[in-house]
Amino acid sequence: MGLLAPTVAILLGLILYPFFYAIWLAFSDKTIGNPGQFVGFRNFAYVIAWPQFSAAVTNTVVFTVCAVAIKFVLGMAVALVLNQQIRGRNFFRAFLLLPWVMPAFVVYLVWRWLYDPLAGLINYALMDLGIIGGPIAFLSDRSTAMASVIVAHAWRNFPFYAISFLAGMQTISQELYDSAQVDGASRVQQFRHITLPSLYHIIGVVLLLTTIQTANAFEPVYLLTGGGPSDATMVYTMLVYVMGMVNLRLGEAAAVATLFLPLLIGGVLIVTIMLQRKANA
Amino acid sequence: MRDPLPIRALTYGLLAVFVLMVAVPLFWMLTTALKTNKALYEDFSYLPTSPTFEHFVRVVEREDLLRNIWNSFAVASTVTAVTVFVSAFAAFSIVRYRYRGREWVGRFILFKYLLPTAMLFVPLYAIVVALGLGNTLKSLMLTYLTITVPFCTWMLMGYFRAIPAELEEHAMVDGCTKIGALFRILLPLSAPGIVASAIFSFTLSWNEFLLALVFTSDHTTMTTPIKLSMMVVGDQYIWGQLMAGAILASVPITILYFIGQRFVVQGLSAGAVKG
Repeated sequence: MGLLAPTVAILLGLILYPFFYAIWLAFSDKTIGNPGQFVGFRNFAYVIAWPQFSAAVTNTVVFTVCAVAIKFVLGMAVALVLNQQIRGRNFFRAFLLLPWVMPAFVVYLVWRWLYDPLAGLINYALMDLGIIGGPIAFLSDRSTAMASVIVAHAWRNFPFYAISFLAGMQTISQELYDSAQVDGASRVQQFRHITLPSLYHIIGVVLLLTTIQTANAFEPVYLLTGGGPSDATMVYTMLVYVMGMVNLRLGEAAAVATLFLPLLIGGVLIVTIMLQRKANA
Repeated sequence: MRDPLPIRALTYGLLAVFVLMVAVPLFWMLTTALKTNKALYEDFSYLPTSPTFEHFVRVVEREDLLRNIWNSFAVASTVTAVTVFVSAFAAFSIVRYRYRGREWVGRFILFKYLLPTAMLFVPLYAIVVALGLGNTLKSLMLTYLTITVPFCTWMLMGYFRAIPAELEEHAMVDGCTKIGALFRILLPLSAPGIVASAIFSFTLSWNEFLLALVFTSDHTTMTTPIKLSMMVVGDQYIWGQLMAGAILASVPITILYFIGQRFVVQGLSAGAVKG
């Protein structure tokens, strides 16, 4: 049992204690250098009434739902293609994994440069193709900022979906497809009635893990837009950072994080229940 | 049986689209690092006309990026070494010993997965400052364990469960201690799991952003991600150097991944299925 001691120390000292400390902070008026006193629900009342908070709720939901949907569809399409008999399959599998292997911060810096309004590739290419007349400030225009952040995030993370789905597809017996083909089932029918049902378990695990990760994403927003323009991409993690580390209002920062926890856990529960129903149906 | 022509055409057509989608940003990162500033900001061209390594030289000499890469390396390797030992001991204890409360550790690890770093970084910052570790690499080494240890313990539990306990019992009949059996039987047999958890720990530490951003505040303690993100705001014409730095930051981790690729894929499935 002594073997477990270091892990227990880490779990209690660096996870459980900070967790309760964060909840206490949410009920206190602590700032850096001042011990802080219990103030009841004042931080929560203040935070909820703030327009930035409702922007963060909407943005986090929009970001999570859109990003997960794009990553899912793209990952599934890539897995289906890589599961065909193609030449050089191992090479393409390794190559299409590259965005996910590269450090996330590198990917977002590269995309920030691609989106650059003055010298970025995307603006040059779109203007050369005659699609746009003048450069677009993708990351500082309210109408394009969120979509641009979502695209960069999806580019970096779709390979995880692709390799997970591909691993699942490779365990499906070829005989199932052969006999379906003899019975005259089309490719689409084969996908719906053989491939998809065989993947339910993997789809469930992947969606569960990545929905949590996506909702908690910080780097894409921090590195691409910093939450702007005028809060158009302000997700909740960014709001916690700005409140805690820029405005140094620790109580309100903790209150935002605490308010989002039930939302996250609720979201996870809904996904789990939906998947179990689907699997049992 | 070969696929009919329309299906093959569709397959290769989509494959081409996906390859292009992945290749273009990577190509742009590489060529930006090799273009002169004039080629980047005045005479736009899709291909580098007179490639130069001046951005690499500048990012190393003027920005002293190797210092930050070394910081990242020091943090990541320390965290990896500690994580592998601590997680292997914990997983061994949970899988092979019977005592009250051991199942709680497994549940707690799942609970940790739900806890966002966004909730923990403010209290962790307070702890780091209270321990006198503000603005040090040690603060990162310590707090990264909260990410790596639960994850690797969980993964190794999957590996250890798959190995029959009889093997160790035989070794103990032959006079081996229980800890000896861990080192001589269990660890060698689960070597792929150990390699996978080492790669995960190293990669997670190398890439970690939020805690490094909060805890470190000057050039001498910054890890690579923070240094590069600070360079973005510093200078309008920084992109050549920034992409050079981005390449330097990606190469080690990409090589590491492709060397250990098969262990990582196995590790993911061991944690997910057997855990």
